Amino acid sequence: MALRRGSVLAVLPLLVLTLFLVGCPKRPATTAASAPAPAPAPAPAAPDAPVSPPPSAAAPTAPSPSAPGPAAPAPTPAPAPATPPRPSEFRAHDALKDVYFDFDKYDIRPNDARTLDTNAGWLKQNTGQLLLIEGHADERGTNEYNLALGERRAKAAMNYLVSQGVQAPRITIISYGEERPVCADKSEACWSQNRRAHFLVKER
Amino acid sequence: MSMRQVRVVSFLAVMAAIVIGAGLQSPPPARSQQAADVLLNVLGTGATKVNIAIPDFTLVGGADTQQLVRQLPEVAGNDLRFSGIFSPVTGTPALPASNPEALRKAWADFAGAGAHAGLQGLLAVRGARLEVEMRLHDLTSPEFRLIGSKRFQMPVAEFRRLSHKIADEVVLQFTGEPGVADTKIAYVNKASGSKELYAMDYDGASPNRLTSNQSINLSPVWSPDTRSLAFTSFMRGYPYLYRIFPFERRPLQLLAGFLGINSSPAWNPDGSSVALTLSKDGNPEIYVLAVATGAVRRLTTHPGIDTEPTWSPTGREIAFVSDRAGRPQIFVMDAEGANVRRLTQAGFNTQPRWSPKGDAIVFTSRQGSHDLWAVNPDGSNLRRLTSGGDNQSASWAPNGRHLVFQSSRQGGARLFTMLADGSEQQPLSRAPGEARSPSWSPRLP
Repeated sequence: MALRRGSVLAVLPLLVLTLFLVGCPKRPATTAASAPAPAPAPAPAAPDAPVSPPPSAAAPTAPSPSAPGPAAPAPTPAPAPATPPRPSEFRAHDALKDVYFDFDKYDIRPNDARTLDTNAGWLKQNTGQLLLIEGHADERGTNEYNLALGERRAKAAMNYLVSQGVQAPRITIISYGEERPVCADKSEACWSQNRRAHFLVKER
Repeated sequence: MSMRQVRVVSFLAVMAAIVIGAGLQSPPPARSQQAADVLLNVLGTGATKVNIAIPDFTLVGGADTQQLVRQLPEVAGNDLRFSGIFSPVTGTPALPASNPEALRKAWADFAGAGAHAGLQGLLAVRGARLEVEMRLHDLTSPEFRLIGSKRFQMPVAEFRRLSHKIADEVVLQFTGEPGVADTKIAYVNKASGSKELYAMDYDGASPNRLTSNQSINLSPVWSPDTRSLAFTSFMRGYPYLYRIFPFERRPLQLLAGFLGINSSPAWNPDGSSVALTLSKDGNPEIYVLAVATGAVRRLTTHPGIDTEPTWSPTGREIAFVSDRAGRPQIFVMDAEGANVRRLTQAGFNTQPRWSPKGDAIVFTSRQGSHDLWAVNPDGSNLRRLTSGGDNQSASWAPNGRHLVFQSSRQGGARLFTMLADGSEQQPLSRAPGEARSPSWSPRLP
């Protein structure tokens, strides 16, 4: 049985059905020219660069996001809060201690309320400081759920401080979920340290 | 014995082993016309897989300096094995291109050794382009009838895609639905020091880094047209939702940059909307973002946590996670936010993923460590899919048959695949080391 390379394709006896059309699959587009784009964003989207350059027109103001589309009308009539400063502009302060939470919980426990009272006192003495509250979760639970959980913790701490007389417009919250742990052990000792709200300040 | 005879005998020995392993006696005479009927006939004899012979492809034009005649069948054979339907044999000499009698004898040898199907590829190398004509034969029929043929073209550098397309075509012929070999998997990896997005072929080949912003990048999800990925990133300090275009020279696009969380994206089936979690109105709730205009519509209004939406394939319902009943559970609502019903009762349940076939919702249940479970959309047939290690973050293949997920069972966090019933759990063949949060793309166009 000789194999003759380069020979013309034989016409094999096709007994029944040749079921296919000859066709060439398309490759995904590799140039922008072949992409039928929706209208480009009016605000320039930041290039995929390291975090340090400040955002230009991409202001994180609610309710209108700097989203694609020529006319992005504000879908809800909520008042637009001021653009929050970048988290990297805030610093920790010895006077402001972390508070901690039970697993899968975001209520403020009595001892942590005392810590928050102390934090509130300092903040009311130092009204020139803006406050950033970080909310965190331990590694159990999944990443997206923990992002929401961290947010609820930061919010709970904020609400408590506001109830103690700290001015709400001074406060920004951010959740890091399980993404910024202070320790990595798989133990309750470590997990309990990660279930926290953390406080940072910045001069106005 | 000549070398050729040695090779044929070796092949027959391999096929004999397959035959013995499959419990086959001899293939029944074919009575049917369609490949799908071949599959039914084969399974009806008690075999569990279709034995398919894929000899080296036959070079019919140009020069093959990379041994593509061997590589192409190997990649296609791996794809067919992965489908769970086929038992391929590759590595045997190429078939003749233009000698019908010799071809018939070659198929007869394979059939005698227990092959149910045979795939011949005719390869032409035209400069930087490859052309392959695939010919699929039913080896259970007396004349080894040609089931069908199809031609594909691809640049040489993308030869693996050519194999994937061939394999997907074979699966289509046998099952009525194409395979999933011509797909990508996106994932998160922090080998660089920060969590960045990557994409690779579904089998682990050609990993490619998509982001380098050195912040925290999470939750990549492919758009239905495969042109973009939505994802959450802290690249500007706060968690915003972005869209990246891996295959086009197109800038990163901000999808949602509201105060608070902008996360957990899920594309609707036609790609016009992204369901997501926003906390801008006081606590994490589920909204639907119209991609073209940026307008958002709120769906949930409960003061607890509502997050992790996933669309039904009809686009009419959304499953999601809520802690409104205490621990996080899976709920379902319609796409306007009404008719909320609870799907899971006990435990700590997150990450619902609605199958593209609509028949099951896979989710992650935490009982100590995490495991994947599945439930029917009406709440019935709750069943566990994994055990051992920490298993989470599932993503469906577009066929609704396969899943990729993250598992710690071999240490760290690695990607595994399985079938929808939990069988055939195996690591991705060329796994990229640590990898998390996978997203399986739709079939590439």
